[in-house]
Amino acid sequence: MKKIPLSYLPLILGVIVLGMPACSKKAVRSGGDMQALQDETAKGGGSKDGTGSSFPDTSFSGRNESNNLRGLDRNPSEERLGGHAGNTGSPGGVGHANAMVAKADSGAVARQLAEIRAEQVASVAAGLRDVFFAYDSFSVTDEGRHALAGDAEWARSNPTAQLKIEGHCDERGTSAYNLVLGEKRAKAVRNYLVELGVAPTYLSVVSYGKERPFCTEHTESCYSQNRRGHLAVKTGK
Amino acid sequence: MAFRVVVFVSLCVSIGVAWIIESGAADVFLEATRQDFQKIPLGIAGIENLGGSESPEARVKLGTRIEDVLKADVRRSLVFSLVDLPSLGMKVGHLGAEPDPSFKQAAENGVSVIVWGQAGMKSGNKDADLSMDGYVYDAGNNEVVGGKRYVGSASVARLMAHRFADELVFRYTGEPGIARTKIAYVSELGTARELFVMDYDGYDPRQLTADGFLNLMPRWSPDRRFLVFTTYRNRNTQDIDMIELATGKRWTLVAQGGLNITPVFSPDGNSLAYSSSHEGNAELYRLDTKTKAVQRLTTHAAGDLSPSWSPSGRELVFTSDRSGGPQIFLMSADGSNVRRLTFEGDYNAAPAWSPRGNWIAYVCRTPKKEYKLCVITPDGQKRLQLTTGLGVDDSPSWSPDGRHLVFSSTVEGKSQIYMIDADGKDLERITFTGTHNSAPSWSPAS
Repeated sequence: MKKIPLSYLPLILGVIVLGMPACSKKAVRSGGDMQALQDETAKGGGSKDGTGSSFPDTSFSGRNESNNLRGLDRNPSEERLGGHAGNTGSPGGVGHANAMVAKADSGAVARQLAEIRAEQVASVAAGLRDVFFAYDSFSVTDEGRHALAGDAEWARSNPTAQLKIEGHCDERGTSAYNLVLGEKRAKAVRNYLVELGVAPTYLSVVSYGKERPFCTEHTESCYSQNRRGHLAVKTGK
Repeated sequence: MAFRVVVFVSLCVSIGVAWIIESGAADVFLEATRQDFQKIPLGIAGIENLGGSESPEARVKLGTRIEDVLKADVRRSLVFSLVDLPSLGMKVGHLGAEPDPSFKQAAENGVSVIVWGQAGMKSGNKDADLSMDGYVYDAGNNEVVGGKRYVGSASVARLMAHRFADELVFRYTGEPGIARTKIAYVSELGTARELFVMDYDGYDPRQLTADGFLNLMPRWSPDRRFLVFTTYRNRNTQDIDMIELATGKRWTLVAQGGLNITPVFSPDGNSLAYSSSHEGNAELYRLDTKTKAVQRLTTHAAGDLSPSWSPSGRELVFTSDRSGGPQIFLMSADGSNVRRLTFEGDYNAAPAWSPRGNWIAYVCRTPKKEYKLCVITPDGQKRLQLTTGLGVDDSPSWSPDGRHLVFSSTVEGKSQIYMIDADGKDLERITFTGTHNSAPSWSPAS
């Protein structure tokens, strides 16, 4: 069977999503909600204070005895080394005490791709403009304020739309600190939109740090594309 | 690659003398990490090939493969120095448990240990395809001090070498060795980033998650059963999840809204330190893993993130931008006694406290705006830059023996994972496939 190049996948999914009648879209969304509910159940849920109420004991009481070295022996007896998942040998076997398993779930990947595409389509249709930042900075520039004025107008004339503000960073700096910087950028955008009269309840922020770059070259023109407050129309949860 | 050691102070002095042990810590420091420790000269007299049902070519490959893995493990142990036995007139390539008569020259040639062995297909038992015997001759005693006999399926050939190497380290230092350790990391699949685990030498990568979006910055539980990490539920909210390696089962530990990043278990596994912005800006919190009680550790208008525990669990090192750009700070594990550690440069982040306690590794931005690896003593008295060159180095993580660091770097373009000795020597790339490998976390030893 001839393989379809992977790069066509977003296009194909986009065509599928666009081609769906309204009721099918709803089905896709509720499917997503079902999945989220199942995930919640599988993950053990969360308590009211936002921390997981039930997860296994993680305290460390000592070495994993089954995996311990046994020392050299003048008359060595056989040590059976366990393999990986599905090939672990006897329960008493030593070696990989933790058999690694891949949790393959192509359904989740396809669902994510479809939802991302739907969000992109809705955001492009709304004509939302992004905001760009200087290196190390989370101050909204004059150009950014100009873009946000248009975005605010769209938000005011679409008062039920939920807007998501994504904070993005260029690849320079650490992953962790860029998540903090990305959140500062997203919040700066949100705060300015609120100043312009957009109701805060319709705005949410999320930081992607440098983990979802718009371009991947190691050049300043690419970096400046990635230092961004991206506005998206929230289509899922 | 232009990685070189940049020595700000005399390396010899710093490694040998700078035993900065935090007060009250009961950590034991072994001789093998001292600067004046002489590596033990060790010769490998060959892992020979036994007969069996496999083709002769394959058998040659098996023996060579195990010997190559063993050699690399011995080299990376930094406990032994490999010596070339034939150049000293000693024989390599013999079968059986008895030492070759030529080994008697070992002591006068300055060789302390000779190991050899044999490996092959084991006939008549389909569940145990391979067997490997390894023997250890000690020149000081002029005798074979012991050996090992491993059996297992074809998938554990490398593990046989790793386990034998760790037995050698254990025999001569009392430490478990690092050859069987693992590295958890993040790898890009399309636009998604998923969790993977591989052997410490980069072999045998295994995918753990397939969520189709972002999973970031995994860290091990001290018993090696779990990883904690940041996950994006429905792309819009960040939670801290835990995954069990053996089963893939997942739990959500923190789902408070806002940023929930950089989780890390305390050395005793009873606490999880992490950064969350659910109360406004990024602050550090401590979750008691038994009572599930949450304690806020920092209160500051600036961002606090990336906590790392001292080996005793009494102190935390973390990143904060309370003085402008990100800098490294220390505090007690209850949040008291906060003090700044780094003053050189305007960007220092991602600290990792060595399991030996004597160094803190972190990412330092150089005057040329490159992001490189630095180490600093917890008293701030000594600082070394370990890497140079272009690109961004990130996410340093110590080996459990404190002799190596693993980290990600874009020095060759795409982000890949590298290993380096704690003194900046022996840079080694360990991932070679994929468009983006990052956020390595070295497992504890077993």
